[in-house]
Amino acid sequence: MFFVTYLRRELRRRMRQAIVIALGLALGVGLVVTVAAASAGVKKAQSGVLSALYGVGTEVTVTGPAPSPPKPDSTSKNSQNSSNQNNFGIEPGPNGEPEICTSNGKCTSAAGKTIDQLTAPYSGISASKVAEAGRLPAVTTAAGGITLTDNTTTFGRSGNSLPQPSSFTVDGVDTSKPSLGPLSSASLTSGHSFTAADADAGVAVVDSGYATSKNLKAGSVLTIDQAKFTVIGVVRQPQASSPPDVYVPLARAQALSLYAGSLNGEVNTIYVTAASAADIPAVQHEIARLLPHATVTSEASLASEVTGSVTSAAKLANDLGKWLAVLVLIAAFAVASLLTMAAVARRVAEFGTLKAIGWRTRRIVAQVLGESVAMGILGAAAGVGLGFAGAAIISAVAPTLSATVPAPSGAFSMVAGQAVGPGPAGGVPHSPGAGSSHVVAVPLHPSVTVAAIVLAAILAVAGGLLAGSLGSWRIARLRPADALSRVA
Amino acid sequence: MYTLTGVTKLYQKGRHTVRAVNGLDLTIEDGEWLAVQGRTGHGKSTLLNLLGGLDRPTEGTVELDGTDLGAQAETQLTRLRAQLIGFVFQTFNLIPTLSAAENVETALIPLGISGAGRRARIAAALNAVGLADRAGHLPSELSGGQQQRVAIARALVKEPKVLLADEPTGNLDTDTRDDIIALLEQLWRERGLTLVLVTHDTSIARRAQHIGIMNEGRLTIHQGTAPGQPIG
Repeated sequence: MFFVTYLRRELRRRMRQAIVIALGLALGVGLVVTVAAASAGVKKAQSGVLSALYGVGTEVTVTGPAPSPPKPDSTSKNSQNSSNQNNFGIEPGPNGEPEICTSNGKCTSAAGKTIDQLTAPYSGISASKVAEAGRLPAVTTAAGGITLTDNTTTFGRSGNSLPQPSSFTVDGVDTSKPSLGPLSSASLTSGHSFTAADADAGVAVVDSGYATSKNLKAGSVLTIDQAKFTVIGVVRQPQASSPPDVYVPLARAQALSLYAGSLNGEVNTIYVTAASAADIPAVQHEIARLLPHATVTSEASLASEVTGSVTSAAKLANDLGKWLAVLVLIAAFAVASLLTMAAVARRVAEFGTLKAIGWRTRRIVAQVLGESVAMGILGAAAGVGLGFAGAAIISAVAPTLSATVPAPSGAFSMVAGQAVGPGPAGGVPHSPGAGSSHVVAVPLHPSVTVAAIVLAAILAVAGGLLAGSLGSWRIARLRPADALSRVA
Repeated sequence: MYTLTGVTKLYQKGRHTVRAVNGLDLTIEDGEWLAVQGRTGHGKSTLLNLLGGLDRPTEGTVELDGTDLGAQAETQLTRLRAQLIGFVFQTFNLIPTLSAAENVETALIPLGISGAGRRARIAAALNAVGLADRAGHLPSELSGGQQQRVAIARALVKEPKVLLADEPTGNLDTDTRDDIIALLEQLWRERGLTLVLVTHDTSIARRAQHIGIMNEGRLTIHQGTAPGQPIG
């Protein structure tokens, strides 16, 4: 009780100094919390971008090699006013109007026609390899998937009007493994998701953004490459992501892919969960041996390829922010230590008197340390408050960041308009996927974590302890006779 | 009982060695009052520090009831000071943030006396120095004489065997000086204290049973006029 009374009175007596020390520590701690919050926000944003691509639990993604140009006798379907072809090209006709030319050299006017084309960015991998991958050491589970893009281009009837391209992405989902793949990170907004019974059903789950743009809801009918699907649910992916637009059962995606290079009995993406983070490199290695032509990507390796302002922000938070916080902390610690030393120097007579009347050095040291730690705790509390304020300010003023996400291994790319366009006859339209990338907006929401608060408290108390220790060191060396003679 | 044998204390001041106490032999019986006089810098305070275990002799021994203070570990010395020795300083040395009662309480902290016993002793000590009604006052709210009374209460609350006073009236006016000396004399008499009092004031020194004159580190003992005589 006396300890607390003495401590409280001393802090009150030296209130200005206590406030300066506490504020110094608070500033350093607040900066640490703010930087940690910004860093966590950036990481969360990056993670959001990536998890929407591969799903929450996926640690390694395997994609087939880029597809080779289609053979001249590829399957094609035509309707009266729509074409679905894998083997065609758009070329300017004699009047400069666009014409659809097939590989056999036959060209027809594109006016008034709609071209619907399904493409797969990756070649197929035998479905049996999915099971083999799942049996590899340190692999918890593996699921196959199919990534497709449905590209539609509508030509005006006048012939000279610009074609209207649109596209949407389709994800074939293994309904028996809902925890893997892009759908795993989505949250249901209406309807319901797939069940194991939907494995071969003509049903689809759509992304909320796509559903809004196409006015789809649970019960709507959706057409993918002339195949009809009933929408059973609408999902929302984390912000700052570029999710698939439509999810269908894997078997149905395989059936669709007949028009996209035939992936019947195959998948073009394998999602893998490793037993632990430490096993990921080994799992990558094992899969590379199992599928030598496939591209094996871990979340970490893909994250390292993410560019754009989000990466700059991460760099800013991790480098400049971290060092700035360290410098301010060092300055705060130094100020706290110097002020504490000065206070001890001013209290030499007091400590000498206490020693003379029988106080043990460690009791005096405990008293001084207690005062310093109390200032540290005040600094921690104020620092956490400053940290929250800093995070709120960043959240309010920070511009929306962008992330350029590479899509070398199964990421869905929204590259509308690239699927159809003037090109050599017989050529494949530009296939989004391999080697392409896309830019997504990433709103930055700094989040103050419990770990950051604990770290802040530890740092502030450590600062107080450091300052108190230096003062205590001086007290321990103080001889009472010297202390008293300096006063007398 | 203090027994000092061949006590020498040397200080290093720059390049020079100062012989503050020089081959001192002295015995102070229990319950005696010794006043120490002498010019500034002739070793009075050093002698007091040696008697209080605040400093160690360079040569010789300082024994208190047979315990060689110079040979004790710092922890032992601290315990001895806490239990047996009370100090009164010229500048009072009260802790400015603590009240009179809390300042007195500081002397009981090392003894581990707690609760009601502690409160009773503090009240008794303040009552003994006539400051029962000033227990909650801060030093800044007390006069110099009152502050010195608090310091005396702090020295006596632990019921020491020895009271060492270094110029206890040096910062006080004449009237207050007389009050403080009267108080010390009364407490010395009532409690059977061994009192060693350093003073420049001859009128005060004469009140003691023995007067020691320090001159260049050496002490010469004279007989006092006997306690109880008027000062002046």
